Amino acid sequence: MSILGFDTATQRVTVGLGLGGQVLGTRSLAVDRQHAEQLVPTIRDLCQESSIELSSLEVIAVGLGPGLFTGLRVGITTARTMAQALGIPVVGVSSLDLVAHPLVGIGRPVVVVANARRNEIYCARYIPTKDGMRREGDYEVLPPDVLAAELAQNDDQCLVVGDGVLTHADAFAKCDCVESDDDQAMYPSAASLVAIADVRMRRQEFCDPCDVHALYLRRSDAEIEWDRKGR
Amino acid sequence: MTLILGIETSCDETAAAVVENGRLIRSSVISSQIDLHARFGGVVPEVASRAHVELINSVIAEALAEADVQFGDLDAVAACQGPGLIGALLVGVSAAKALALTLDVPYVGVNHLEGHLHAAWLQDPDVALPLAVLLVSGGHTMLVAVVEDGRYKVLGQTVDDAAGEAFDKVARICGLGYPGGPAIDRLAKDGDARSIAFPRPMISEGLDFSFSGLKTAVLNHVRRNPEVDVRDVAASFQEAVVDVLVHKLLVAADNSAAATLVMGGGVAANSRLRERLTAAGEASGRRVLVPSMDLCTDNGVMIAATAWWRLRSDGPTSLAGGANPSLGLVSTR
Ligand SMILES: [Zn+2]
Repeated sequence: MSILGFDTATQRVTVGLGLGGQVLGTRSLAVDRQHAEQLVPTIRDLCQESSIELSSLEVIAVGLGPGLFTGLRVGITTARTMAQALGIPVVGVSSLDLVAHPLVGIGRPVVVVANARRNEIYCARYIPTKDGMRREGDYEVLPPDVLAAELAQNDDQCLVVGDGVLTHADAFAKCDCVESDDDQAMYPSAASLVAIADVRMRRQEFCDPCDVHALYLRRSDAEIEWDRKGR
Repeated sequence: MTLILGIETSCDETAAAVVENGRLIRSSVISSQIDLHARFGGVVPEVASRAHVELINSVIAEALAEADVQFGDLDAVAACQGPGLIGALLVGVSAAKALALTLDVPYVGVNHLEGHLHAAWLQDPDVALPLAVLLVSGGHTMLVAVVEDGRYKVLGQTVDDAAGEAFDKVARICGLGYPGGPAIDRLAKDGDARSIAFPRPMISEGLDFSFSGLKTAVLNHVRRNPEVDVRDVAASFQEAVVDVLVHKLLVAADNSAAATLVMGGGVAANSRLRERLTAAGEASGRRVLVPSMDLCTDNGVMIAATAWWRLRSDGPTSLAGGANPSLGLVSTR
């Protein structure tokens, strides 16, 4: 199985290539808001270095968020359009799952928190199993203090990880967090994306390009305001 | 033969088209989001951006099918890179760059304003230069001289509201729905354009425009005369705008020695403006190039047609290119 995967839900663009169950290479770069500028050149360069022809790809894998709206749209549009032109399917994976996945070996629950701006975070809880990380409950959007207070009451020794830890260091000061200088661990992993997509493809869990949708979790302000006014 | 796919997502139309050699329209597909934004009384950027992602791939597929071409037949892929709503623009730019990379063909980022200009030019690509061009829509009101291909001189632009914006605001004042342009146009047909003497802002002061005072004059008139017939308001307001636009385009043509008057943009679909411009052309012995109605609103044809010229003059755009929400119309040579 030849797989190209990328995630653009955070301030990083991560790209990975997989072939026959192996990860051929990955790239991860800080882009701030320049997802659209950086994604396609990064894909091009990684494919060239790995001697992978785009026409040989069998699936495109993409991070679905939740995360930065504009970044997500760049990644999902690129995935849908490349897959459309190549006539291949897409595997979509939550970007929070991609932060949790590399931690399956630590033997304790994990909470992923991602920066949602406006003093909120996106989060999801995971339990390691022999088949990988199992998500418990839904993806949520919460104020960081609310989640931190909740975690303080549980004593299940969970580990907190994700770029939400970086933006809300104070709120999570009393939690057990992944070391904040371990930059890679805070962001979605392209190697995990490629690995998960490989498993999903073998289980026939893929979809048509047009059926891939972002996990926004939040509606637009205009729609929220509209409902608030009850019109 | 060069086949270019043009993608346009700068505002609330998701559009794609295939154009052959910069002039032959092989297909044009426009999916309008008007219904999505109507209840908000205007375009909501986040709603527009989300809708573009959902629509873009089926619009591209339809444009190819209508042109009877396959992805592999394309020689270049173009997208509007600004001006416009940044989140919306990036959907089209991302789709176009993804295609260019996958198909190994050039990518061309196109200026939206240059696109509108080319939509009119498409009526007669061989017309002699210079041209005096009026670009008029909900986002811009601008006079441009085309000196030679790819070389523009911006002669004037609005200092406040765009003309299309004034149409939307006056429509709201008159209790009409969104979008306001077509509603005013329709209503004005049954009104008396001479019944209310609205101001013609800055009509003899150079080539810049101002429409916010006119909008206020309409608001005040309606407040003071609650019984006024909205058809008369619509007709009188529209006539004031058209007077200013046509007059300044003629002055611009005089100043730049242009024998041809060109118009582009959403407001160029206004029936009274088209009628008056045609008459002004006849009276002054000038040719008039006005795009067909479906090329006035935002479309992929204008992007593909412009890309063909740009590709020849400047070559492809880098795959590291992004979008610029406030991109201006500047001469590149
Ligand atoms: Zn436009």
